Amino acid sequence: MPSRDAASAARRAAPTEALPPEPIKDHLGLIAEMTRVFAASHDAHTVAATALERITLHVGAEAASLFLLTDDVETLVCTACYGPVDITGLRIPANAGIVGRAVLRQEGLIIRDVRNDADFGSAIDAKTGFTTRSILVTPLSVGRDQLGAIEIINKASGDGLFSPDDLTLLETLGRAAALAIHNTRLTERLVAQERERHELELAAEIQRDLLPGAGAHDFPIHGINIPARAVSGDFYDILTLPDGRIWFNVADVSGKGMNAALLMAKTSSLFRCLAKSAEHPGQLLGAINNELCETNSHGMFVTMVGGLFNPATGKVRLSNAGHEPPLLFNLTDQSFTAIAADAPPLGIAAGIAGPDGFPTIDLNLNSGALYIFTDGLTEATTFGGGMLGIDGVRALIRDHAETPPERRLRSIAGAVKLPGQSLRDDLTLLVVEDNGPMRPQSVADVAENATAAGEIMRLRVPARADRLKLIRTATEQAARFCGAEAAWTADLVMAVDEACQNVIRHAYGGRTDAGDIVIDFVATVEALEVHLMDFAAPVDPAAIKPRDLSDVRPGGLGVHLIRSVCDDARFVPPPAGVGNLFKLTKRLGTQIKGR
Amino acid sequence: MALEVNEVNGVSVVALEGDIDLQSSPAVRQQLLACFEKNTRVVVDLSAVTYIDSSGVASLVEAFQVARKKNGTFSLVSVSSAVMRVLSLARLDRVFTIHPTIEAATAAQG
Repeated sequence: MPSRDAASAARRAAPTEALPPEPIKDHLGLIAEMTRVFAASHDAHTVAATALERITLHVGAEAASLFLLTDDVETLVCTACYGPVDITGLRIPANAGIVGRAVLRQEGLIIRDVRNDADFGSAIDAKTGFTTRSILVTPLSVGRDQLGAIEIINKASGDGLFSPDDLTLLETLGRAAALAIHNTRLTERLVAQERERHELELAAEIQRDLLPGAGAHDFPIHGINIPARAVSGDFYDILTLPDGRIWFNVADVSGKGMNAALLMAKTSSLFRCLAKSAEHPGQLLGAINNELCETNSHGMFVTMVGGLFNPATGKVRLSNAGHEPPLLFNLTDQSFTAIAADAPPLGIAAGIAGPDGFPTIDLNLNSGALYIFTDGLTEATTFGGGMLGIDGVRALIRDHAETPPERRLRSIAGAVKLPGQSLRDDLTLLVVEDNGPMRPQSVADVAENATAAGEIMRLRVPARADRLKLIRTATEQAARFCGAEAAWTADLVMAVDEACQNVIRHAYGGRTDAGDIVIDFVATVEALEVHLMDFAAPVDPAAIKPRDLSDVRPGGLGVHLIRSVCDDARFVPPPAGVGNLFKLTKRLGTQIKGR
Repeated sequence: MALEVNEVNGVSVVALEGDIDLQSSPAVRQQLLACFEKNTRVVVDLSAVTYIDSSGVASLVEAFQVARKKNGTFSLVSVSSAVMRVLSLARLDRVFTIHPTIEAATAAQG
């Protein structure tokens, strides 16, 4: 059973090399020594035991222990001790016992006989077999932060009573110890923060890769995403289908930070995956909703606007699941139409979509633009101090209407975000544009204004040799419809036929079922225009040259024939930025070349 | 497009009918080359051809070149104005030997 004598024996048996066992008489010497030890260490916990030993020996006591408060400030835990009994790890309620009283009152105590103190708990002695007679205790704190306390037990030297002088020494050493512990904790916190920051950076990098890259300048859809923190709960995506139509979305995951970012990654994968087989946005959002509901928990949800844009018609099909209403901007009269949500956010209730999914709205952009954004834009603070609001968003769109799309989006976002400052919420902004300036030259414009712009007819046929006769017949009828004479008509028929052959053989590489050709016959004031659009990989117009006619060999004649009979034949930029658009112009009523 | 081959005075006469376009020209090409396997003198009757495109013209050019390689003869007869229009645009009207009738062609080649 440990006793006072056993403690003395242990002390003698295990002298520390660095710290001589002989008590240092001079207080100042000890204070200087301890302050130096604490200051030199990055980790107060490792020097605590040594410090307790030095103090115990200096005061001439039997044991000492360091108690630290847990984070919830409800428990005191012994993190280091010196003496015959090891009580490291011992936990006591923060408000219990003599140590608890010292912490609570934030004052040092001298208890010369614990039997006369009502707060003394003998349970520990009963468990350890140690007999506590007197206690000297000082609370540890830095500023308002209470850290715990150091207690010294059973003064053995002199008259066996702790003196006010002993308490003053302990308080002085306690302050140095408290600072050291405080610094250690700060360092630990910084290291943890740094590790977390590094992990966030990696997550942000992966997340940025999930966003679509910048499209070509004439691509009809552009987006921008600025996270408030390292990672974003917002996202947008753009996905072009083989037939030229383009899926897009803007979404906002409830909450911010890492959990929102993870749900964002999942939702964006679902969108990409399911869009390839969905028929329309309502069906797609309904399917995403059901998938999210199967696994989503913690009450998180996603608001989303999903749409399918057809650049050939300028039409958008749209479904809005609980998202901020997108704005349809009419370039002509500068007016806005808000497209409100018809469905609840995704991930809240499964099976609410109905057999055909969520409601789908059909919009005609009519050479205008559709703006979709998250509340990070509307609720952002302007430089003036107020919230931007929907009116502010409208004003910004109007102000920047003439700016090229990518710069326009950056300018609008820049109105609420100063360089170097972070936003309050993630900000995402996407614009779907009906490329008005290009439309007069394109098939799409004519299709939308069939009666007004002189559209005679539109033909959409698979790009196959067995459809050429159909195309020739249609061309002949279109020319007759314009009152063209037979020879003029025959030349146009040949030119269209040759142009279609080039699409079949070169653009689509001769594969059957490779894609369609869309042919528009358009009567202008003095000419008949034929617009041929395919959805194949872009053809380099420079590579298609008329052949040298002195070289008599099969093939390569088509382009020469087309140029010979048409007034103009050229590639123009396709409205969707996909496929090829070849435009033939043949003037009516003019002398036919070569006849 | 229809296609018929007859022997007239030792000359293979290939009669084409209808539209010769990307769809039908491979068959025309194959038939013309087959004729040169058996004969070195070939005449193509274009009287019933309503349309010919660049791929059809290419088949004729290829047959023309085979004939020259084999020291044979190759000519076109009864070229309609529609076909002549294409041949002249391609500047091939002076490359091909063109006869008004089969009789004239076979007589010239025989």
